[in-house]
Amino acid sequence: MHYSELTWRRFSSAAAAGALDGANVRRGAAGSIAGGTWVQFDVRLGGGPPTAPIAAVRFRAFGCPHVIAVADWVAEASVGRPAVPQLPESIQALQERFAVPVEKLGRLLILEDAWIAAMSSPYT
Amino acid sequence: MTSGAPVYLDYAATTPVDARVAARMGECLTRDGQFGNPSSDHDYGSAAHEAVEAARAQVAAAVGAAAPDIVWTSGATEANNLAIFGVANYYRPLGMHIVTARTEHKAVLDPCRELERRGWRVTYLKPAATGVIDPEQIAAALEADTVLVSVMHVNNEIGVIQDIHAIARLCAAHGIARLHVDAAQSVGKCPLEFGASGIDLMSLSAHKAYGPKGVGALAVARSRGVQLQPLQFGGGQERNLRSGTVATHQVVGMGAAFELAAASWAAETERLAPLREKLWRGLEALGGALRNGAAERSVPHLLNVSFVGVEGESLLAAVRPYIAVSTGSACSSAVRESSYVLKSLGRDERLAESSLRFSLGRFSTETDIDAAVAAVAQALIRLRRIAGDPCITVN
Repeated sequence: MHYSELTWRRFSSAAAAGALDGANVRRGAAGSIAGGTWVQFDVRLGGGPPTAPIAAVRFRAFGCPHVIAVADWVAEASVGRPAVPQLPESIQALQERFAVPVEKLGRLLILEDAWIAAMSSPYT
Repeated sequence: MTSGAPVYLDYAATTPVDARVAARMGECLTRDGQFGNPSSDHDYGSAAHEAVEAARAQVAAAVGAAAPDIVWTSGATEANNLAIFGVANYYRPLGMHIVTARTEHKAVLDPCRELERRGWRVTYLKPAATGVIDPEQIAAALEADTVLVSVMHVNNEIGVIQDIHAIARLCAAHGIARLHVDAAQSVGKCPLEFGASGIDLMSLSAHKAYGPKGVGALAVARSRGVQLQPLQFGGGQERNLRSGTVATHQVVGMGAAFELAAASWAAETERLAPLREKLWRGLEALGGALRNGAAERSVPHLLNVSFVGVEGESLLAAVRPYIAVSTGSACSSAVRESSYVLKSLGRDERLAESSLRFSLGRFSTETDIDAAVAAVAQALIRLRRIAGDPCITVN
């Protein structure tokens, strides 16, 4: 399997991998390990009203290098953005940015579901 | 490869050509060597013919066959096809039933599936969790019209050795069933005497034994009257079983490689078996490592391990800068397909996918083993951390 430079770099570093604790954290997950892809996002919102921007994001993922790379990018790119159920980029744009094969589109949809679940979850 | 290149631990996929073999092959290519067409009736042809027959004798000697038993092919895949279609078509009046195993190479399974499409019946035996086919399973599967049993000697993914002698006795007692053995992984690792074993047909490959790619052979027990219908027609070479100009340099390379392999297998076994066990101990200590196949029934150079808590494609990608190994999944399109061999042994989809096959060879060293353990350890720690799996303990 050939990976783009961006995919390889993000997969290799996965700097945003991990979890967040404490107040103002929303957590959401989708997929399953048995199914081959599982993603979880922890999203910490800035203080203030519910519309406050995202302060930090961490992810956990069981999946192929594309899933890990995209999750890492989403976690970083979301900081400072409003807490909305939409990813920073559309699935199609992410697919192109990371040169994700079309056969893996379903895995990106799982990642999107995890983000939506996080945004829909109550504050901790 | 240059220094800094990943450590090569994929000798079951292919091996580098031995320098002595390459030199011998080169002699058959140029004007001052045996470049003639071995079928030509002049001195140049005769010189090439002699080289081809010398190579045939070398291959035969290495596997305990008679020289006339050896039919050159382009590799083990063609040999498997020639054996399976050749027997099925020739013996069709006697029956249309075939017995094989689910863990065979695709070069056996796909011809069998094609024969099913053409009306043959095929029984696919499921091995035990160890990868071993009990000869009693063969006995139970044989039917009155079984014309072919095809069982590999050494499994290419897990290295498990089947009891070919027992299976051969069953086929002989049956009377009609011919035994074909895919022995592509055997030469130089686990000797199998073709003549003494009662095997009817045996597929061989050069490039698994430090010979060139693109050449193999099918041993056919002509002395026992085994007949085949050829797959290709043309010049009638190889006693009409495989038409086409024999590639002198290729078969000479195979002959030289097999002679060297036969001479060195005992020493290689003695050297590689402890290295393989050192590798296993190192991987086992990482936690969540499951050995695939019966250790006591496997060739000394091969180790297949499933790793708990990591995704297969990511595992392979993570170790790729450091070691060259095979994974338990095949890349068909962009999405990997997990190993049907490991699933036949009862491994679930995830464990079948997250397996690595380490195969050692002539140039493997203790340093290579240390590098492999370190590479896998680093990958497991990182990927399990990313997955956040609390169930996995990493030492």
